[in-house]
Amino acid sequence: MALLEVKNLTVEFGSEDKPFRAVDSVSYSVDRGEVLGIVGESGSGKSVSSLAVMGLIDFPGRVSADSLTFDGQDLLTMPAKRRREITGKDIAMIFQDPMSALNPCFTVEAQIMEALKVHEGGNKKQRRERTLELLNQVGIPDPKSRMTAYPHQLSGGMSQRIVIAMAIACKPRLLIADEPTTALDVTIQAQIIDLLLKLQEDSDMGLILITHDLALVSEAANRIQVMYAGQLFESGPADSIFAAPRHPYTQALLEALPERSEGHDRLRTIPGVVPGQYDRPAGCLLAPRCRYANESCVKARPEVSDFNGRDVRCFYPLNDQGQPTGMATGETV
Amino acid sequence: MLGFLFRRLGDIIPTFFGVTLLVFFLIRLIPGDPILMLAGERGVDAERYAELQAQYGFDQPIIVQYFDYLVGVFQGDLGKSFVTKRPVLDEFLTLFPATVELAIMGILFAVILGVPFGVLAAIHRGKWIDHLTMSLSLTGYSMPIFWWALLLIMFFSTTLGWTPVSGRISVMFFFEPVTGFMLIDSLLSGEKGAFSSAVSHLILPTVALGTIPMAVIARMTRSSMLEVLGEEYIRVARAKGLAPIRVIMVHALRNALIPVITVIGLQVGVLLAGAILTETIFSWPGIGKWIIEAMNRRDYPTIQGGILMIAFLVMAVNLIVDLLYGVVNPRIRHKR
Repeated sequence: MALLEVKNLTVEFGSEDKPFRAVDSVSYSVDRGEVLGIVGESGSGKSVSSLAVMGLIDFPGRVSADSLTFDGQDLLTMPAKRRREITGKDIAMIFQDPMSALNPCFTVEAQIMEALKVHEGGNKKQRRERTLELLNQVGIPDPKSRMTAYPHQLSGGMSQRIVIAMAIACKPRLLIADEPTTALDVTIQAQIIDLLLKLQEDSDMGLILITHDLALVSEAANRIQVMYAGQLFESGPADSIFAAPRHPYTQALLEALPERSEGHDRLRTIPGVVPGQYDRPAGCLLAPRCRYANESCVKARPEVSDFNGRDVRCFYPLNDQGQPTGMATGETV
Repeated sequence: MLGFLFRRLGDIIPTFFGVTLLVFFLIRLIPGDPILMLAGERGVDAERYAELQAQYGFDQPIIVQYFDYLVGVFQGDLGKSFVTKRPVLDEFLTLFPATVELAIMGILFAVILGVPFGVLAAIHRGKWIDHLTMSLSLTGYSMPIFWWALLLIMFFSTTLGWTPVSGRISVMFFFEPVTGFMLIDSLLSGEKGAFSSAVSHLILPTVALGTIPMAVIARMTRSSMLEVLGEEYIRVARAKGLAPIRVIMVHALRNALIPVITVIGLQVGVLLAGAILTETIFSWPGIGKWIIEAMNRRDYPTIQGGILMIAFLVMAVNLIVDLLYGVVNPRIRHKR
């Protein structure tokens, strides 16, 4: 059994009769030692789905799922107190902006030791020793003097290392990293990713890496899940997705990579934006932006189906040559 | 930190000058002649009038009078009351504890109720509890003190008879003041019932005085709390698996209190201004009532001295608040 099993996870906001689905029936699973990359543009429901796994969606948000289990335990039906014992201990999360993730009023040491105190107990001395060990582990130079530093005294990269130390403090079995490098500059980005992957390998953690950096997931992830407007569009093993995308959106994302635009004057883009709450198309959510969309795409919404061993949500999944299948020639609009 | 303290003390000096200037000249703009006031209905003849003018220094040019006053102030001499002939400072120090006692109770009332109300309203944002506390606090904020105090007296003292109408303690008790604080003195006196009498006399003035600051603090706490609750580090704290109460009371409140503390400091000025009204209504023998009486008699040295001391007090409290700010907010502490 996989470590984390998510089946048809749905997160809704707004009124009961006219809800906005930020996450729409998304399913995935992560195993020990596995890296799952979740990619998609901003607003595609990547962060919201992982917040739902953490149990951090507040009223008025509504979380429902056919099943949401961690290590065989149902996260949705367990009492809040029991769930908090898992959150922060067995499942930990790293957030986007390290500069705002640390509480400005408390020292580094206090914030890391707090997680230890809640989940592991022990006395102050033990917790302090473990904190020092953690700071060493995440590569903080001169950790002793950093212990008593306040967040405003740290650089962005340093803060993210502290946030990571805080997340791995209780040796989680699953780590969710929500765009851990977006707010950092490029040289630091590589270091932080290397650190995360090293930690993941050393402790055989499951890792969910949420990002919009395709190059990053191509190197780091075992499996990739492409999301768009709250829906799963394509998922499968990382290398095969890169070799032959089955969904037009994945294909367009890959084409937008700068290294694939060599010989062009401009970088290739996907026209338009992700639909929001009020401009959802009636048919396929991608239809207005999809180069292959035809009338049936505009009218009906495709379901996720299996195509050559890959989950794809498209009426006309692409073949190895990147051409839509099952479509009469000349039918595109 | 020490450098910061000195810099702030340096700021106080020009403000202090400004206050002496304002107080000295503004009072003289009020119509009415202190000598005629002293003389009463019989009046004085021209010769005696000139004599008295010379005695109080009113025959000098006003600039000279001001500098004489200033020199006195810097020597710690606030002058003598025209009416009682006693040094203003002595009178002030005698009455001051009564005002401080009332002010402390007022601010305690405001903080002890205002902060929890604000926190409650913030966590239950948009629900009835939020609407209730916020409309109550708006009502409290809009209520003129004198009217609110009279309503309180009418209901609790006259109709219900629960609390006394005025004064600091029942006339049945008499003892020498030791600290000047009635709560402490009544305990020290050892007389039975003295303490509870002192407490019952304090309740209504405290409520009347503390209502406006409470409303301000509750609203400030609410908005500050709402802002902080949306911060990423609150989500991180929850992601650690902390209990909601710990997230709110430790992670959110600590940050939310930073602006609230500033507001509390500013409310001290409001409180002392309010004390003048409250003391007059409840016949509370403090500096508020004392200054009002001095104004009615055009007792210049008393008014000047009293207002100067209050201004000094407000500045001192704000300095303390600024120092406290550094204790709560590490970003401030380390910049200096």
